[in-house]
Amino acid sequence: MAPTILYIACVLGGLGLYLLVRGGGPERRGTGPIKALGALLGLAALAWLVVGASDALAGEEGGRPEAFFVIFSLIAVAAAVRLITHTKPVYSALYFVLVVLASAGLFLLLEAEFMAFALVIVYAGAILITYLFVLMLAQQSPDPRKPDEQAEYDMNPREPASGAIVGFILLALLSRMIFEGSGELEAPPVEEARVAAWRELARMPQRVEEYIAADVDGEFELVWDGERPRLEISADGSSAAAYYRVAEGDAPRRFPLPAAAMPENVQRVGLGLILRFPVSLELAGVILLMAMFGAVVLARRAMELGEDAKREAAQMRRLGHHDEPGEPAGGAGAS
Amino acid sequence: MTAAIADHVGSIGGLLTLAQEHGDAGFPLAHPVEGMGWAGWILWLPIISMVLCGLCAALRIKNKLPAWITVALVGAAFVLTLGLYASYEEPVTIELFRWFEMQWGEGGAATAFTAHFSLYVDKLALLWMLFVTGLSALIALYASEYMEADLKAGYARFFAGVSVFVFAMSCLVMADNLLMLYLGWEGVGFASYWLIGYYYHKPSAVEAAKKAFIVNRIGDLGLALGLYLTWHYFGTVEYVNAEGTGIFNQLQAGVDAEGAAGGWMIKSIPFLFMLGAFGKSAQIPLYVWLPDAMEGPTPVSALIHAATMVTAGVYLLARMFPLLEALHPLALPAVAWIGGLTALLAATIGMAQYDIKRIMAYSTVSQLGYMFLGIGVATTYGGAYHVFTHSYFKAVLFLTCGAIMHGFAGQLDLRKVSGLRHMPGWRIVSWTMLYASLCLVGFPFIANGFYSKDMIMAQAFISTGPGFTALGVIAVITALLTAYYAFRVWFRVCAGPRYYEMGDEHHGDEHDDHPGHDKPHAPRWAINLTLLIITAGALLSIWLFYRGWGEEMVADSTAAGGVPHPHHVDGGFWADPHAWMPWVAGAVTIIGMAIAWYFHLANRRAADRLRAALLGNPATRWLPTAMENKWYVDEFYHAFLRFPLWVVAHSLNFFDRYLVDLVVIDGLGRIPRWVGRWFQPLQNGVLQSHAATMAALAGLVAIFGLYAPELRRFLEMLFGGGGG
Amino acid sequence: MMTTLAQLESMTSLTLAHYLIVSAALFIIGLVGFLTRRNMIVMFLCTELMFQAAAIAMIAFGRFHFDISGQVFVIFILTVAAAEAALALALVVFLYHLRDTLDAERWSELKE
Repeated sequence: MAPTILYIACVLGGLGLYLLVRGGGPERRGTGPIKALGALLGLAALAWLVVGASDALAGEEGGRPEAFFVIFSLIAVAAAVRLITHTKPVYSALYFVLVVLASAGLFLLLEAEFMAFALVIVYAGAILITYLFVLMLAQQSPDPRKPDEQAEYDMNPREPASGAIVGFILLALLSRMIFEGSGELEAPPVEEARVAAWRELARMPQRVEEYIAADVDGEFELVWDGERPRLEISADGSSAAAYYRVAEGDAPRRFPLPAAAMPENVQRVGLGLILRFPVSLELAGVILLMAMFGAVVLARRAMELGEDAKREAAQMRRLGHHDEPGEPAGGAGAS
Repeated sequence: MTAAIADHVGSIGGLLTLAQEHGDAGFPLAHPVEGMGWAGWILWLPIISMVLCGLCAALRIKNKLPAWITVALVGAAFVLTLGLYASYEEPVTIELFRWFEMQWGEGGAATAFTAHFSLYVDKLALLWMLFVTGLSALIALYASEYMEADLKAGYARFFAGVSVFVFAMSCLVMADNLLMLYLGWEGVGFASYWLIGYYYHKPSAVEAAKKAFIVNRIGDLGLALGLYLTWHYFGTVEYVNAEGTGIFNQLQAGVDAEGAAGGWMIKSIPFLFMLGAFGKSAQIPLYVWLPDAMEGPTPVSALIHAATMVTAGVYLLARMFPLLEALHPLALPAVAWIGGLTALLAATIGMAQYDIKRIMAYSTVSQLGYMFLGIGVATTYGGAYHVFTHSYFKAVLFLTCGAIMHGFAGQLDLRKVSGLRHMPGWRIVSWTMLYASLCLVGFPFIANGFYSKDMIMAQAFISTGPGFTALGVIAVITALLTAYYAFRVWFRVCAGPRYYEMGDEHHGDEHDDHPGHDKPHAPRWAINLTLLIITAGALLSIWLFYRGWGEEMVADSTAAGGVPHPHHVDGGFWADPHAWMPWVAGAVTIIGMAIAWYFHLANRRAADRLRAALLGNPATRWLPTAMENKWYVDEFYHAFLRFPLWVVAHSLNFFDRYLVDLVVIDGLGRIPRWVGRWFQPLQNGVLQSHAATMAALAGLVAIFGLYAPELRRFLEMLFGGGGG
Repeated sequence: MMTTLAQLESMTSLTLAHYLIVSAALFIIGLVGFLTRRNMIVMFLCTELMFQAAAIAMIAFGRFHFDISGQVFVIFILTVAAAEAALALALVVFLYHLRDTLDAERWSELKE
């Protein structure tokens, strides 16, 4: 792909983003058209990028990327742009939720079902809620009499031009790098995915035995290849078979596994996590623990500060000191 | 042998043949000798004197101690010179210490450079040393009184300068090789500069010192080039050598200049030496510094610019006489002509000046011209002897002018002082001045200048060379002019009605610390004693001439080639110039004196009327104007040399200051500042600036990584193309 | 479901590059937002956006190389993002109480 097309797309995108970002602030005259122009340019850039990429990378079929991908990508990018340009922070958080949902969709397209929903649960369900809580706590309008007025720092972006320039230089570079090696970026065919999935079954001998036990009565024993049960997987990955023996010395019997036996995404993720990254798992737990401690410590001090200040203002007695009326709170908080 | 010499004498070629035919009899050469290291003290004593005077200056000694130190030590050097003369048997070289010994390469002539700090003692050197040290000691004595006004400041500095001068002059005269001579040459130039600029608060003195040094530099360039070429051609700069490869060794063995390798360069050696000599001894075209050098104190003018330093050029040519003879047939005639023309020119200028010191300065230039004329017509004896006599009478003349200046608070205009000999306390000055003037004009028989000048003028008619007869006539005419201007001074200043006007300066500087300033004060014992001793020395030199002493001195040296032997030529009185020259010269002298007497004593107003008449007539107006303005030589130099150089210097300064400094250097200096200011907004401490920097640098790394192959190809194309 | 999607996929020329472009675009948008917005909370929201982009890239590469570690790593990304969000927000609240503003430009003590 000629770099020129790429760069033009990036320039357009940069311009569009700049216009969008800059058009913040109180309703100035003329912001509407500016924003519209910005949105248009951004869309044009993205379309150019994606369509142009597809044209360049057209395989034998010469088709365009499928509809779902286009939809999810567009939603993700558009929501992201709206996130960074919206003046009200709460809206930004909500748009972030939209980004998360869109990327969950992309995950689904990439056969990562578990991650898609884990993403939604963790991000949209936990992290974003936390953000919203904090926003409620900290976001106040500068003038108590006009509660709808937004803070000045929300309305005026900071050096949008240089930000946009830096960003889009980087995007140009990234795209260029991605397209440099575009010859080898064909997605592997789906048959291989299935074969890889069946192979994971070899790590779950218990599951294999369960399936065999459902059909075969009596004692049996799996045929092992080394540490793993022997599995025969068809070339296109559509079916697989296991081998078992009824008794010692018996010839291995073939047992075709049902289609449902193919490990699902959840099982595969779990397997990978436990078998290959146990230490990281533990460390992740430790990280979360530290985060919790840190948050508690920080919040506590902030809370105490806030509490003391309020009591001072109201000239109330400190809790626990009944015999000193009117004495203002002093020093750090007790206990 | 005398007959053979007589046959050949009178032609320069003959002299050369003389040298070639008679081998060692051409001129005597020195050989090294041991055990005479005490002669080195002649050099070390002035150095010690300089150091001690420097100490006096540092310790701010306010009495006359520096003067006595100098007189004592230089006098001791004179005594040592006498001792050297007394113990002299034959030419010797005395090595004092090893100085330069360098060798490189293998074989060949010009691959070694040897120059030892040694003394070359032959009669010529002794002749010079006697009057150099003697006069230096005497003039130091004179200066002890003369420089009294500067006792508070600069007295010690003066005598340090005089000591340095004596050392350098001794180095020059007694040098064993051209390098040591050059050392002395530069040394006397430096001393001259230092002392001319003694009154450094006066701008005119500073200008004069600079002029002297710079004009001398041109001559020094010639000398340096000549030195180098001599080394290149002869392979050594030493006069004589134990191995027999010294310059004079080679010259005596015979030198073929026509077929010399290096061609015109070798043949230019004599002219280069001449350039050096003309610079130091103030001949055309490098004489312009000497009249201005009168800005220095009078003892300096007397010692350096009359008696000793200016004779260095004459000494150089006399010493190098065999070289001048051998390397180019036109070398000696060139010397003669320049000398003669200078003599005439300087005399005409001197006739029209009013400042008596200036007149004496031009007189010095003129007499130096006579000396060069003498050398050029191959009577080194005449030239050297004239140096000897001239040093005496010119010193006296300058010292008397100085006494007048000292006594009359800086008055030097001969129109403003008159009848000095009638004033009490001025008699010694007047009579010594008279005798010295007689010597200058060459009054028959009683004045030593008579003998030395006659020798030169007669030889001009004897030697054959291009236009030598015309030169002789010029010399005679100049003698007439010399008589006129010398006695113009004496008749105006020392004779006639008593009259004086005090000058407006005091010893050349602005301080006026003498009470009773309006009255002249006569010189005291130091000045008078000095004048008398020098005059006695002049009389002595007449006696010495009759003893043939001078001839013997010059003959026993490398300048012996220029000592003509008296001979009898048949053909009557007029065929022998040595016979009729005394009469002609005497007559000319008396005529000149008579003219001077008429215009400047008997009928002084006639001089003014004559001048007015000349000026009034448009045909002759140019004559007195030009003469009074020194023939506009200085102005010519200024227009054609100084001014263009000044323009060049200023434009280069402009270029340096504005283009180089301002644009390039300051511009380069501003670039970092400008770059820094460009990046400054990123340093505002806000978190996002840090993030922006990180992102930008990440981008830079990405660019570099992405375009690394192209970058490498580009760089290879730029730089690797040359390196392959 | 997987079969249907896979079948759909085989009909198109969807390559790894497409997903990477989307990931890059999201990342850059997050970066620009981080550099541009002054509200501290929105700034951290933008960092979360950058995490998202990284996650998409991870999953895409995992699918491309048939290695489950791509998805496993996204779990860790999630973990780290959550931890970071918690601490960041705690700090933001703290800072808010000190200066009573969420403006990031008010905090500029880290200069020369």
